[in-house]
Amino acid sequence: MTVDKELEKLSHSTPPAATPEARARALAAAMQAFDTAGNNALAPQGNAKGWRQSSIINWIWSPAMNKKFLAGSALATLLVIPAAGYLTIELTRNGSPIVDQTEIAGNLSRGEASKQPVAVAPQAPAENGTLAEQSVVDAQALQDKETPAVAKPGAARISEFDANDIATLTNKSEGSATALGAAKRSAPAAPGIAPQQQLAEPMAAIAPSPAPPAEGRVQIQLDPNRERFANAAANPIKSVATDPVSTFSADVDSASYAFVRRSLTGGAMPDPQSVRVEEMINYFPYDWPGPENAAQPFKATVTVMPTPWNHDTELMHVAIKGYDIAPATTPHANLVFLIDVSGSMDEPDKLPLLKSAFRLLVNRLKADDTVSIVTYAGNAGTVLSPTRVAEKSKILSAIDKLEPGGSTGGAEGIEAAYDLAKQAFVKDGVNRVMLATDGDFNVGPSSDEDLKRIIEERRRDGIFLTVLGFGRGNLNDSLMQTLAQNGNGSAAYIDTLAEAQKTLVEEAGSTLFPIASDVKFQVEFNPERIAEYRLIGYETRALKREDFNNDRVDAGDIGSGHSVTAIYEITPKGSPAVMNDDLRYGAANNAPAENADTARQGEFAFVKMRYKRPGEDKSALITTPVNDSNAVAAVDAAPQDVRFSVAVAAFGQKLSRIAAVDSYSYQAIADLAAASRGADTFGYRSDFLSLVRLADGLSQR
Amino acid sequence: MDAELIERAQGGDREAFGQLVSRHYDFVHATAWRWSGSSTDADDIAQEVCVKLGAAIRSFRGASRFRTWLYTLTLNAARDHRRKLAREAQTFRAYAAEPPQDAPGENDDEISSELWAAVRALPERQCDAVLLVYGEGLSHSAAADIMGCSEATVSWQVHEARKRLKAVLGKEEV
Repeated sequence: MTVDKELEKLSHSTPPAATPEARARALAAAMQAFDTAGNNALAPQGNAKGWRQSSIINWIWSPAMNKKFLAGSALATLLVIPAAGYLTIELTRNGSPIVDQTEIAGNLSRGEASKQPVAVAPQAPAENGTLAEQSVVDAQALQDKETPAVAKPGAARISEFDANDIATLTNKSEGSATALGAAKRSAPAAPGIAPQQQLAEPMAAIAPSPAPPAEGRVQIQLDPNRERFANAAANPIKSVATDPVSTFSADVDSASYAFVRRSLTGGAMPDPQSVRVEEMINYFPYDWPGPENAAQPFKATVTVMPTPWNHDTELMHVAIKGYDIAPATTPHANLVFLIDVSGSMDEPDKLPLLKSAFRLLVNRLKADDTVSIVTYAGNAGTVLSPTRVAEKSKILSAIDKLEPGGSTGGAEGIEAAYDLAKQAFVKDGVNRVMLATDGDFNVGPSSDEDLKRIIEERRRDGIFLTVLGFGRGNLNDSLMQTLAQNGNGSAAYIDTLAEAQKTLVEEAGSTLFPIASDVKFQVEFNPERIAEYRLIGYETRALKREDFNNDRVDAGDIGSGHSVTAIYEITPKGSPAVMNDDLRYGAANNAPAENADTARQGEFAFVKMRYKRPGEDKSALITTPVNDSNAVAAVDAAPQDVRFSVAVAAFGQKLSRIAAVDSYSYQAIADLAAASRGADTFGYRSDFLSLVRLADGLSQR
Repeated sequence: MDAELIERAQGGDREAFGQLVSRHYDFVHATAWRWSGSSTDADDIAQEVCVKLGAAIRSFRGASRFRTWLYTLTLNAARDHRRKLAREAQTFRAYAAEPPQDAPGENDDEISSELWAAVRALPERQCDAVLLVYGEGLSHSAAADIMGCSEATVSWQVHEARKRLKAVLGKEEV
């Protein structure tokens, strides 16, 4: 066997002779140690007084540690631990513990605790927990006290030397496992954690919506795998009679699709929390009809079609295309790359991929554009002061020189990057900070909230933010989302160089050049035609109804040539799929008012969009009525891109385990997507098809 | 010979202790070198072992098993040393702006460095078992004595290590 032969060689190796100096040094040290030990040994051993030497602590502890007493506390611990465990499991099963806690806090502060016995129950584990902790602390203190007594070198009572040494040896090898685990913070979570995560997922999916999503930006953070995702419970079906208006902000991020792809190609169903349906839909380039000139930055196309997964409902498909600035007239760009070079970035799919991605981007910029680079790791540093792209080699070599190391201090880095962006500010141009990170960029005193505040302040200077996520295992998607949403920017997740090519080169226009900011949508449904509606996706983008007309409320931005698609599943009046009963008292009052204007009777809904041109404070309004001329009779009659985006929507909903699409199979999604694939120049849609097949295979296990 | 020296050293005889240490220094150094793979590290480890020896010789019992004891001391010292290095490297990485260049390995011997690398990459217990059995040419029971476990455990560790090595080295050969 080759291994045997190879191993034989180990014994043939001749160790190099020790250098005489080292030998002399070692011998001298040995003699000194011998003498020191000897001096101690000269002291009389044993104790003339006749009792064992022990410290005052032992005096106190010995009676306390009497077996009789011990038995009592051990018994108590035995009772407490299963009880605490049982309660924890119960709590997890009963839905989001976060909500419970806030409820309790609220109730307690209002002094109503006594009236609500239920609210007090969840507190029990906390008390038990402290008890258990207490006993652990006690035990540890005990150990700590005993250890020195055994290890004391001068104790001179150690007869079984081998045994002691071996004991330390075994202890160490055990200890090393934990030490290693703690030290390798960047390492992906241990495989043992995975099944737990799998378990947690369905629970999260089933958990009832803790708050109406209209509240907006509700973030439930389960923390499996140390990745944090921003998502809220799926939008519920709403009755047009009670909530005729749906308001949300544009979202052109694509991070979620890339993350889903990465998970599926890696052989695991994605965490339902990581799936944001609207981002999956908006990942794909669609050929919606765009506006003719820059005066009107975008145009909406609405299609009403039958729902492929439900015979009794229809889909209202709203597609918006942004005006595509011709490459010749693109404004000058002032880009600051803010690059995370912390130790955790030292993985092939992080820093090296990031370097290649930025190289691609630099090659696409024009000679007049400026680029600067700021790194953050331990302390933030400017690697490259603003440099014109004409000096490309200087920029590229600065990118090449980036090396990982240190921990991450996000706040400082962001400050430094915004300062540089301000320094090289281009009026009437694009000023953008491009933040590349693997997620955890907030080691330091500042919290996520502080970071958000910094970014919100800087947004007023006209500097935009793009967040690029890299790697996996540590991705803090929710912070990425928060930053991008508050920094007038977008978030993308880069898992492969192909994705970098798509985001930074092919779609550089939309990534870099905003044509409209604070884009908000409001759809008002006509109760005469529509009974119920459900917005697919956009959970994290929901806005309050009154915020639509409030120009101070921030919303999403649309870049040059971007397309944004929103899909509503609507239930026509009288359809058997209507979930909510008619209101007994509402209908009579409404009727006369509705009759006043017959021209609007035939409309399904009325779509309103608000946007601001870059740099402007006042918003403009675009409106589109939706009526029978927008409707198509069959799924196949809908335009190709509409059908494809519906397939993506179905897939996204299936992955996030939304009940509406339960009966619609992956195969049906694949068929729908395959039939509407079209030219597919870049192969994104074929890529999608293979993901559907992967998910199909994985879900059957 | 050793037994006599040990007895005298335990009685406080400096000279005997000096003789004892110098007799075994080369052995300790060689073992340390095998475990660490670098002669500078081996110097440090050997010195550490000598100091421990000086401090603990008086309490040593069981003269016949002096070699075993030395092995144990050396293995422990080598492990501590390796951990210290790892810790330092980590601290250094955390504070330095640029990561240190990996110091070039000093194992200037004829064994393929892949084998060394593979053996040292094994889990600690397996690495110890392989080095004791193959590197030092000890029997499984002697290795078990040093490692403080049963003979069967050593055999199992060696078996596991060989499986692993076969996977690692085999891949490179093909």
